[in-house]
Amino acid sequence: MTNPSPTANSIKSGRWVRSTCKMCLHSCSNMIHVTDDGIINKIEGDPTNPSNNGKLCPKGNSAILRHYDPRRFKEPLKRTNPEKGPGIDPKWEPISWDEAFEITAREIKKSLDEDPRKILPSLEDFQKMHIWFWPLAIGCHNFYQSGGTMCGGAYHPMNGYIHSAFGCANDAKYCNYWINNGTGDGFSSHLHAAAQSNWVAKARIDRGMRVVSVEPRLSIGSAKADEWVPIRPATDRHFALGMSHVLVNEGLCDFDFLRKDSNAPYLVGPDGYFVRDTEKQIYVWDSKDNCAKLWNDPTLENDNLALEGNYTVNGVECRPAFQVYKDILAECSPEEMEKITTVPAETTRRIAREFSEAAKIGQTIKIEDGRTVPLRPAAYNYYRGAQGRKLGAQTNQAFKLVNMLIGNIDTPGGHMGVTIDDGQVDNNHVEMGECGQMLGTPHQLGHMPEFAYPTNEYHLASHFPNGVNAPHLNLLVHENREYWGVEFTPDVIVNCHSNPVWSIQGPREKWVKFLKDMRFIVCVDVVPNEMTDFADVILPSSDVLETWNCTMIEPPHTEGQCFRQPATDPIYNTKSEEEIFYELSERLGCLEAYNSVINMILGFEQKPELQLDLDKKYTDREIARRKGLLWNGKDIDWYMEHGHSVTERRLDKWYRPWEGMRLNFYIEDMLKERDGLKAKMEAMKTPYINDWPFDDFQPLPTARLDTLHTLPEEYNLYAITFKDIQLNFGESLSNPWIRDIVFRDPVHTGLLINTATAAKMGFEAGDVVKVESPYGHLYGRLQTTEGMHPDAIGVSNALSRTKSENTYVAMSGGHFNDMLPYDMENTDAASGQPETTTKVKLTKLDDWPDFLKQGGSIYDFVDELETKKGKGGQH
Amino acid sequence: MANENQIVGDTFKVGYRFQRYWDTSMAAAFFCCELGAGLFLLSQYFDFALGMLVGLLFAGVGKPYFHLAHMGVPSRAWRAMLRPDRSWISRGLIGIMFFVGAGVAYLLEFQFGFLTGIFGEATGGFFYQVALVISFAAGVLVMAYQGFAMAHSSSFALWNTGLMPISSIAYAVTAGLASILVLGWGALAPETSKMLVNFTLVMLLVDLCVVMSLLHGAFHGTTGGRQSVDLLLKGVYATPFIGLVIAVGIALPALVLWLAGSSYAAVLLAAVSILAGFFTYRVLVFKAALYEPIISFKPRTANI
Amino acid sequence: MKRGMVFDLRRCIGCNACVVACKQENSLPDGVFFTKTLSEEYGVYPAANRVYIPTLCNHCEDAPCEKVCPSGATYTRDDGIVMVDDALCIGCGTCAVACPYDQRSQMDADNLKDGMYGGGNLTEFEKDGYGRWTPGTVTKCDFCSQRVDVGLEPACVVTCPTDARIFGDLDDPNSAPNKLIRERGGQPALAEKNTKPKVYYVD
Ligand SMILES: Nc1nc2c(c(=O)[nH]1)N[C@H]1C(S)=C(S)[C@@H](COP(=O)(O)OP(=O)(O)OC[C@H]3O[C@@H](n4cnc5c(=O)[nH]c(N)nc54)[C@H](O)[C@@H]3O)O[C@H]1N2
Ligand SMILES: Nc1nc2c(c(=O)[nH]1)N[C@H]1C(S)=C(S)[C@@H](COP(=O)(O)OP(=O)(O)OC[C@H]3O[C@@H](n4cnc5c(=O)[nH]c(N)nc54)[C@H](O)[C@@H]3O)O[C@H]1N2
Ligand code: SF4
Ligand code: SF4
Ligand code: SF4
Ligand code: SF4
Ligand code: SF4
Ligand SMILES: [Mo]
Repeated sequence: MTNPSPTANSIKSGRWVRSTCKMCLHSCSNMIHVTDDGIINKIEGDPTNPSNNGKLCPKGNSAILRHYDPRRFKEPLKRTNPEKGPGIDPKWEPISWDEAFEITAREIKKSLDEDPRKILPSLEDFQKMHIWFWPLAIGCHNFYQSGGTMCGGAYHPMNGYIHSAFGCANDAKYCNYWINNGTGDGFSSHLHAAAQSNWVAKARIDRGMRVVSVEPRLSIGSAKADEWVPIRPATDRHFALGMSHVLVNEGLCDFDFLRKDSNAPYLVGPDGYFVRDTEKQIYVWDSKDNCAKLWNDPTLENDNLALEGNYTVNGVECRPAFQVYKDILAECSPEEMEKITTVPAETTRRIAREFSEAAKIGQTIKIEDGRTVPLRPAAYNYYRGAQGRKLGAQTNQAFKLVNMLIGNIDTPGGHMGVTIDDGQVDNNHVEMGECGQMLGTPHQLGHMPEFAYPTNEYHLASHFPNGVNAPHLNLLVHENREYWGVEFTPDVIVNCHSNPVWSIQGPREKWVKFLKDMRFIVCVDVVPNEMTDFADVILPSSDVLETWNCTMIEPPHTEGQCFRQPATDPIYNTKSEEEIFYELSERLGCLEAYNSVINMILGFEQKPELQLDLDKKYTDREIARRKGLLWNGKDIDWYMEHGHSVTERRLDKWYRPWEGMRLNFYIEDMLKERDGLKAKMEAMKTPYINDWPFDDFQPLPTARLDTLHTLPEEYNLYAITFKDIQLNFGESLSNPWIRDIVFRDPVHTGLLINTATAAKMGFEAGDVVKVESPYGHLYGRLQTTEGMHPDAIGVSNALSRTKSENTYVAMSGGHFNDMLPYDMENTDAASGQPETTTKVKLTKLDDWPDFLKQGGSIYDFVDELETKKGKGGQH
Repeated sequence: MANENQIVGDTFKVGYRFQRYWDTSMAAAFFCCELGAGLFLLSQYFDFALGMLVGLLFAGVGKPYFHLAHMGVPSRAWRAMLRPDRSWISRGLIGIMFFVGAGVAYLLEFQFGFLTGIFGEATGGFFYQVALVISFAAGVLVMAYQGFAMAHSSSFALWNTGLMPISSIAYAVTAGLASILVLGWGALAPETSKMLVNFTLVMLLVDLCVVMSLLHGAFHGTTGGRQSVDLLLKGVYATPFIGLVIAVGIALPALVLWLAGSSYAAVLLAAVSILAGFFTYRVLVFKAALYEPIISFKPRTANI
Repeated sequence: MKRGMVFDLRRCIGCNACVVACKQENSLPDGVFFTKTLSEEYGVYPAANRVYIPTLCNHCEDAPCEKVCPSGATYTRDDGIVMVDDALCIGCGTCAVACPYDQRSQMDADNLKDGMYGGGNLTEFEKDGYGRWTPGTVTKCDFCSQRVDVGLEPACVVTCPTDARIFGDLDDPNSAPNKLIRERGGQPALAEKNTKPKVYYVD
């Protein structure tokens, strides 16, 4: 009974195309099957890419349905209903591309000619930095997209300071003790989820790597961990400080590393700055000769560098940076920290000891490039959940320091810097800084604009010398323009591959008003979302299966370009983002500027033959071709055949690329940035100088509480949010296959609350509640679980999509981000990082609010699944 | 979320799942088949042509109608007979064909002398005997096979018991009795009717015992079986089960027949409630069947 | 040759990539799953945990579904794969009530007609793939028989990010699944049902 013609999709007659996934911002290599009839019917991972090893996550598997989504934008559209808002029919009218460009360029130009600052760009395709930086071509530094909002604000600058890299990850290849703090890395999110869970599963099972997960929620990572350590939300820095207290006070550190490879021995004066001689050289203390010497004194031996003690040098009282930290840590005993984190002191102590023991301090390993380097197979990993704090910079640094104390930075088995797009093979990301220190590079995405008061950027970018952009401040400024002294009014939004009205924090009502205040909004997108509800013109973008690209986007253990090529011609009247932005640039008269921006951003400047001619427009194919050439000199045919040029990271760039330099244990630059900013504010008589939170800048982390902990007591629960491997933010919920699996998983079908907490507060599973923070609220249904910290309530991103034109996307009871603040009290002055957790109170409701009674909500869908009717019978 | 007794619908949780492939129309098919065979066999015994005819209509028309309605690909229904070597469904289907064929032949001869008319006295008489034997044997099979088919399923403790075919036969006979009492009221001799009333009373007692034994067995069989019983006695199906299957289907007719078994109105009332109870029973044993949680590794490893 | 699979519960992260890969490979309509990864929470806070349990047809050696199938649509191949011939199945559902693992799915006519986005708006993908199914049949995982026949691993196995699904020949004592079963004490689901699954779990 064999079938003559195959019915299984992957073996039907057709061809395979090697390409790259983009169902999240990362870039797993895939193979796309196209039938002889031109139908894309199967996508598999490409086993030749050592990153994802032929694996794809559920999102990667779902790309086909994005491609064939009947709700895709199929042609340029013009709004005919002037009224805008969630769920209001824009009454789209199809128009020609020419008309669409005509209108868009005309409307942008109207404002651009007046003042480039009137344009708010929101461009968020992580795989296409050259689109991201388009605003530079029109001389605009505004920023309305959400990148950095929740995740990278403090994280990227701190990775820049410590590793001179964009991201960070643990070295799964050798690590044996993996602390997982507020991240899905290796299990569900963060870097290349499919790839990293493959690497981490190998480490866990094949090598027996121990995983300890510190999280308020029994996440996937926590469930797979050998130990789940529940922690009160927004207190992770205090846990790390408690661990550091133990490491430091029990002498469990890698002191050799601290002496030789970090600036921990550098002497710090009472003003926090290093103690220097007249030549600006920094002093250290030689404990053998019992005197101060300059850091580069040839008579110094590493072993004699004092890490502890109080000294006087040239009349200045000073301490080694390590001692400064030790003094801070004196007040951070695990017992003290327990009061904040709820993590039992003995647990913290035990983990600190296990961590240090697993680090095998003193051991070395000979790696394939012939070097013998320290082996430190223990590492502390963290991300958005743990570090998205008001005091984000300090929080990130606290985690980094746990790693640094055991000497595992960029070391086999340790905590690694992960570069984003290296441009070309030969580039190194590390440079020597001052006095033997590695140069801290907090501006991984380019420098912030020069400080100005009144501000030139609506989101105050220039006020954050270290930061990544903080788009939530657009609302802060918009609401109180006089206070901030802005002299311009943005009225045009150029939005591409971004859903800011979903992804930025602050109440939706206010954002809706903000958007309605705009004169013109253009959206370049594939499918409708909350943002396109506000568009005046839609420029429909071709999708990932129809276009060309070349990207390297923070692959954890690998490097090289992932190549995208069309599996099919565009099936609708759509264009690539490149074509769209070139066309707009030409019509706006900034084509030359745009080409220079691309030459700079993509690094084409490095090779004259790859430089774009300034007066030409290029296709996505040509940009991709040049990126491939830039990386390894291979032309597009090679990439079309091979699909990628990914190899494991070269050892010289991966392990201790800073050899011979000292890492920033103590970040003196923080003080320089603080004082520089203060001086500028003083000079420009910035009226809010006294209210600016300069205290956030610290060279070492402190135990200061984040602002949210001081909210009134009636807000008695911490609300947290999370992504998971099925979800790309909330965006993938428009995909039937994702919807199929997400809402069958109990973690995504209700507001997660600890069973005992619910009982204590008089709630039951299934109760419909209003969840309120001081800033906003949402509605939902309680789901009790043993897998939540008693002080926390968890809201999956799956429960966050609000009413939009995309009727396939089931509506939730509001949005988590509505409950988050958007003020400076909750924004880190040292990085721009906003607070991503809040405190809430619950009120039980008798019934759903009216807007959820009309059916079509997630809860209706879940009810349907839970009481699934059989064929003909009712169950 | 941790709930030992969770019925999980179509979600990806570990837990009990409802049987949902055999639905109400399948229950109606079973009902028709069992009622029809029971009525026919009793009518045959009491030489009651109308009862035979109605019995054959239920088994030969009602049953296929509902069965086809249930079937996913009715156009291929004939394929259901292909594996009598292993499938009770095939056996039952073949049995029904024999039963209906032989039953019709028997009835035609009984009423119109059809066989003897065509084949002559001797041959026709022989065929008459053959039809009698085949219709009887096939009738018994038809009464029981669905019970066998269900008993064969190891999925549900509620079904997976030798009592299933017994319950089928018991209910078939009871339903047959109830129907013949109504149809034959006046036509059958009064003492026959009286005897049938008593017989029905006995059968109701038997039904009660069988149903209770079934529940008892399921309750002590598996955790899923226990849940099924809970559903029937305490849960969502308690009202129809206790109300219709037990009270209306067994207790009420027993009481009515016992107190007023000689009144036609009482017999009619009893018969209607018996059939209602029986049909409800058929529906509920489908609905209350639960797949066991596919697997649970909780006890073995603390950290997976 | 006896094909079988082992699920490594320590590896599985409950991502359900397998589910989507299977739906993709087999053009399965809404609501139909040949494999599901279930999750179960256990224990009491803070000693609580969750386990992810992949499931698919166990390709039972003593397959109850096959025994009850009146049409002969369900049969076992020489390599041990329990197959359903869509062209023969009458959709009686007997296999479904006989399978203790609830691994059978009926191809709902409405879902095939309506499509995943509803309203009969079939995508090109669905138009291309749904043709293989007869509305009303009751079918299941076939270990990607067509793929394994040409030397490929099943679609769900290939995609699984953690390599939690280990596929191979149970007749070969040195096959990857056999080694795992031996070393880590593999056990089948619902062993008490005596169906002799060719799918094992290690934890
Ligand atoms: N699958 C998937 N992968 C992704 C993305 C995606 O959308 N989907 N997005 C990409 C992007 S842009 C980013 S920034 C990264 C983000 O990657 P992650 O940081 O790994 O992802 P999140 O789920 O946002 O947050 C991680 C965890 O923090 C927990 N958490 C919340 N509050 C707290 C807290 O106060 N303390 C602690 N310890 N934990 C807390 C949440 O429960 C969650 O499990 O992932 C990238 N990769
Ligand atoms: N509550 C909550 N809020 C969050 C987060 C969270 O976890 N929870 N995460 C935060 C983080 S870390 C980040 S980085 C941000 C991310 O925020 P966004 O970048 O705004 O993320 P998305 O929602 O994915 O929006 C991107 C949009 O791009 C469109 N798109 C998809 N593919 C293409 C394409 O090929 N071309 C074009 N032109 N468009 C395409 C989709 O319609 C999608 O809606 O959100 C932040 N906000
Ligand atoms: S992790 Fe991201 S890039 Fe990789 S398969 Fe999943 S969606 Fe695609
Ligand atoms: S698991 Fe079920 S469908 Fe699969 S072979 Fe066993 S009984 Fe048949
Ligand atoms: S539904 Fe199909 S495969 Fe199942 S028992 Fe009936 S005929 Fe056989
Ligand atoms: S083996 Fe093939 S058919 Fe079976 S579950 Fe996996 S992908 Fe689906
Ligand atoms: S793909 Fe693998 S890890 Fe993911 S749910 Fe399936 S078996 Fe588990
Ligand atoms: Mo992010």
